[in-house]
Amino acid sequence: MRHWPLIVSAIVALGALSGAAAYQHAGPRHHEQKGEWQEIAWPFARDGWPAGKAFRCGAAACGGEVELYVRPKMGFCNCDRGVADDDEVDRVADLDLLSERFAPIAPGDVARIADMPGRIRAYDLKMSSGLRQTAIGVAVSRRCDLLVAVVHGKGAPLELQRAALDFLATSKMTGWMMAAMEGR
Amino acid sequence: MSGRFKFAAGFSIYLLAGSGIACAQPQVIGAPPEALNMKLVGTSDLQARSAYQPTIHHQGDRWIAYIGHHGGSDDIPAPVNPQTGKAEPNGTSILDVTDPSQPKYLRHLPGQEGKYEAGGAQMVRICDGKALPKGDRNAVYMLRTFGGEAHEIWNVADPANPVLVTRIAGLKDTHKNWWECDTGIAFLVSGAPDWRTRRMTQVYDLSDPAHPQKIRDFGLPGQEPGSTGAVPTELHGPISTGPSGNRVYFGYGTNKGGFLQIVDREKLLNGPREPTADNLRIPEIARLAMSAFNGAHTTFPMPGMPIAEFARDKDGKTRDIVMIVDEAILNECNEPRQMVWFADVTVENRPMMISSYTVPEASGAFCERGGRFGAHSSNESMAPVYYKKMAFISFFNAGVRALDTRDPYHPTEVGYFIPAITAATDKRCVKIDGKDRCKVAIQTNNVETDERGYIYIVDRANTGLHILELTGPARAVAGIQ
Repeated sequence: MRHWPLIVSAIVALGALSGAAAYQHAGPRHHEQKGEWQEIAWPFARDGWPAGKAFRCGAAACGGEVELYVRPKMGFCNCDRGVADDDEVDRVADLDLLSERFAPIAPGDVARIADMPGRIRAYDLKMSSGLRQTAIGVAVSRRCDLLVAVVHGKGAPLELQRAALDFLATSKMTGWMMAAMEGR
Repeated sequence: MSGRFKFAAGFSIYLLAGSGIACAQPQVIGAPPEALNMKLVGTSDLQARSAYQPTIHHQGDRWIAYIGHHGGSDDIPAPVNPQTGKAEPNGTSILDVTDPSQPKYLRHLPGQEGKYEAGGAQMVRICDGKALPKGDRNAVYMLRTFGGEAHEIWNVADPANPVLVTRIAGLKDTHKNWWECDTGIAFLVSGAPDWRTRRMTQVYDLSDPAHPQKIRDFGLPGQEPGSTGAVPTELHGPISTGPSGNRVYFGYGTNKGGFLQIVDREKLLNGPREPTADNLRIPEIARLAMSAFNGAHTTFPMPGMPIAEFARDKDGKTRDIVMIVDEAILNECNEPRQMVWFADVTVENRPMMISSYTVPEASGAFCERGGRFGAHSSNESMAPVYYKKMAFISFFNAGVRALDTRDPYHPTEVGYFIPAITAATDKRCVKIDGKDRCKVAIQTNNVETDERGYIYIVDRANTGLHILELTGPARAVAGIQ
């Protein structure tokens, strides 16, 4: 039985791999069945912050194709004032990942996500292709850390905002955001 | 002993040895400082206030240290000043360091109420009235920030009894200013209310400190009022070479997305002042984009450095160098390493990074000691004793590091000093499974030197001021007997 450690290791490794594969496929299938938000790969090149999570919502559920990106930015916030004004949303909400050219549609509003206070604002985006889209930028904070999200699509700002906020308020997303803000 | 048992025993020893090597070395109260070629001369507890910028000024026959403070902590928002018996928001500490072994605490000048970076008076610069073109010859002027809301100028001719001269208020933030004493031109890091960034530059003529004259607002295109689209990284601080050098080196960013911006000082001062994107571009000579992983806290120019290796080359024997220091902001290495970079800006429109320096983490298990580990700032004195020969870098829990910069293509560490912690040293925490896990470690925040060669380091975690001097081979690098 000289080979027993190898055999045991192989069984453990296979079990772990199959478990991981099952875990990775479980989420998307669930969403596909419901026709709602489906997790996709983070579509942006590496920048100063680690990648977050990216989701796509189809026309059936969201009235048009919509994509949402959300991630924590640790140590990027005024520790006492938090997200104090609309300029802060312009600066931090990852709109520049989509396009350098964006303009606010209107003054922003206060927002609360995963029990963190901040602001939300709607923008007109001019994509590199020349197409125009609507985007909603969100920035909330806890002490010195930020959580930012941006959603974009062709829908009306209020529809996009509602879709994004509803999705971010789901228990699954709230749980992930809270864990991400704690570095887990 | 069977082969299997031998393997298991050997593997266990390997694991134990490995864990020993990686084991953190927590600082304990009472333990001696850690040092190489640097030694302690004197200390002050600075009333256990979190400290930022030290500036040392030769004032008459005395040497006075002016030390800016961050705001208070959650536990002690306003420490008691033993001289007044009152709780005072952190502001500016003023000490007589003529005898560096016996610093005398002269005065605490309170700052803005508020904790950490939301309060205090972190930045301080000094100019003699007789040096300023229109100053009172008998005055000594201290330019300091007042939290995030104002810049103030005080007459500190009697450093124990400062007198307020003027105030520039109505700001949303402030930070690391630069003041040219021979011209009075000041580059104030401010948050003008209508700009889209927290920190930009307000250029002032402070040649007559009692009557500040605004020259212009300046920043990167995209930060100005009314602009749209992406907002470039905010300013950290500028350093000017004055009329003779005609350059201002601006550092943008803290620990992310940094830039070195090289600016024509004359065009900045005398160009069109309306803050349009086109007008903001006019003074810019070049911009060196850093990695998204690093920011620029300090951009320290060292023009015209002779490079020994290039001595026989027909061209390029001397190089214009800018040392760029990032700032670490997260505890226990929860970010990319923040360190020191050297840029060759001889060909100004093609600046290039040529070398870097960091403290080896394994040399002190610094990621496990607690608090921040990484660079923060350098000395900014251009006094001959160290200029273009040595630089001193504050490295948070790795203390201060003395670099031989005579060959900026190959900077080397020649000394270090990590102060001992005291009962006043504040904790630094990280979240583990949703709960704070805290450690106590030195957090050497800023450093400055004086013309005599003393090195002043101050602690962000309330440990105070340590005055140091070089020893052994490090003195030879600076040419000190």
